[in-house]
Amino acid sequence: MLKILRLEYLLNRRQILIVLAIFTAYFAYMVSRIDSPRVFVVSTCIMIGLAMPFTILGREDKFKTSAFVCSLPVRRSTVVLGKYAATWAAIGLGLGYTLLLAAVFPFSKIQVAEILTARSLFVALFLISLIFAVILPFTIRFGLVGIIILLVGFQLLGILALILSHVLGGANNPLRVFIRAVAGGLRTLLTHEATPGFLLALLAVGVAVSAASLFVSRALYVRRDF
Amino acid sequence: MDNAIEITGLRKEYKGFTLEDVTFAVPRGTIMGLIGPNGAGKTTIVKLIMNLIRRDAGEVRVFGRDNLRHEPEIKSRIGFVYDVPRFPEDLRLKTIASAVSAFYEGWDDSRFRDLLEEFRLSPRQVFKKLSHGLKMKFSLAIALAHGADLILMDEPTAGLDPVFRFELLTKLRALIQDERKTVLFSSHITSDLERVADYVTFIHQGRVVFSAAKDEILDTWGVIRAAGDGLRPEDIPGARGFRRTEHSLEVLTSDLAAARRSPLSGTVIDKASLEDIMFFIGKGNAHA
Repeated sequence: MLKILRLEYLLNRRQILIVLAIFTAYFAYMVSRIDSPRVFVVSTCIMIGLAMPFTILGREDKFKTSAFVCSLPVRRSTVVLGKYAATWAAIGLGLGYTLLLAAVFPFSKIQVAEILTARSLFVALFLISLIFAVILPFTIRFGLVGIIILLVGFQLLGILALILSHVLGGANNPLRVFIRAVAGGLRTLLTHEATPGFLLALLAVGVAVSAASLFVSRALYVRRDF
Repeated sequence: MDNAIEITGLRKEYKGFTLEDVTFAVPRGTIMGLIGPNGAGKTTIVKLIMNLIRRDAGEVRVFGRDNLRHEPEIKSRIGFVYDVPRFPEDLRLKTIASAVSAFYEGWDDSRFRDLLEEFRLSPRQVFKKLSHGLKMKFSLAIALAHGADLILMDEPTAGLDPVFRFELLTKLRALIQDERKTVLFSSHITSDLERVADYVTFIHQGRVVFSAAKDEILDTWGVIRAAGDGLRPEDIPGARGFRRTEHSLEVLTSDLAAARRSPLSGTVIDKASLEDIMFFIGKGNAHA
């Protein structure tokens, strides 16, 4: 697996630096405008959770190098494990970098100390796990098109939800109840007291979701023809 | 003689094409050419050996081991050259080599640099800026730098100029001199195979037409040419295909000796080249 990690590093290091340069501009603007640690955590997680898999797996898709990687003396299951590890490493790097930016930018409205709490970090990892767990199997199976399929799918789902909500009418139709429950869950996630039980539950769900995602990705990748 | 590759009953189905019941073996220390027209299934076989695509049935054994169960061990002994090199385009050659070298215990950096020098490549060159021929040379350098026992190449000479094709074929010939290394390469350029191959496997429409020693093929296959319309293909022993023009008939036979013995008047009998065989079976009228 370390060989795959090294391979991913050598193949992607320049692109990751470019992404970090883009992050510098983006987060410079963001930390000058946002003063809520919760909004910062959620938006950062979404940004990093989307950008890093896109960077690493997108390049492979662009240059059609999967066939090259699969011709190396390594099992495909190990290749997938390496991709997960490499993407997590890139995410860790991205998170660390954005926190650094929030801390060093003189015009930053974010108090880094408010973010560097166990709850914020666990919530961040949990959110990234969820984004990551959905995106990676699609990307591993369909390449860049997979991300587009997923995003278009979410857009269509949103449109469908709006139409359904309008058709069903009333404040207590099942769809609105469901959306309120999701929003409530997210609020609870961001405001819940950081008890050890809560943090452990976040960690357990994050690990379980990642493991399920890895399992699905492996099954998809082993079946792929190059 | 033991075999480097043994393929038995291999099957792969695509929409509109099926590779069916492919069986052949590549003896160790030899060069085998896989020939066939475009779309015959050559690349599919190469990919199945490399497990780049999933087989539907059959078995592939490399160095006596199943290629799926022992995938990493087997691939560590294979130098693979793709028809279109699939390296990350924007990287320098030295970066690609550095990424690849960690996977092979037998990687020899000085040998790799010697090969680059021989092919007039610089480690600092960026892959995408190379011509197709130079990309193939780089792929070959990667394939040869880890002391592979089996060199597997898919259409390595396609799109190359005659000078480099000659260099490549000479290199392959030199490679098997120690009788441990084996080469399997697919090509539709029959002259390349006639120059270097010890064995030839001919694939047509997803099936093996024959797999035998090249000299045996060239000794036993022939073309009978006759003017006018007095001769019928079914009169020729071992007829495998024919081409009829307005004024003549050409018949391919896989039993040249029997054809020579039969009383055919007004005919010219020649040995068949691999190109003749590929033409008659691929484009002519195939004959049972």
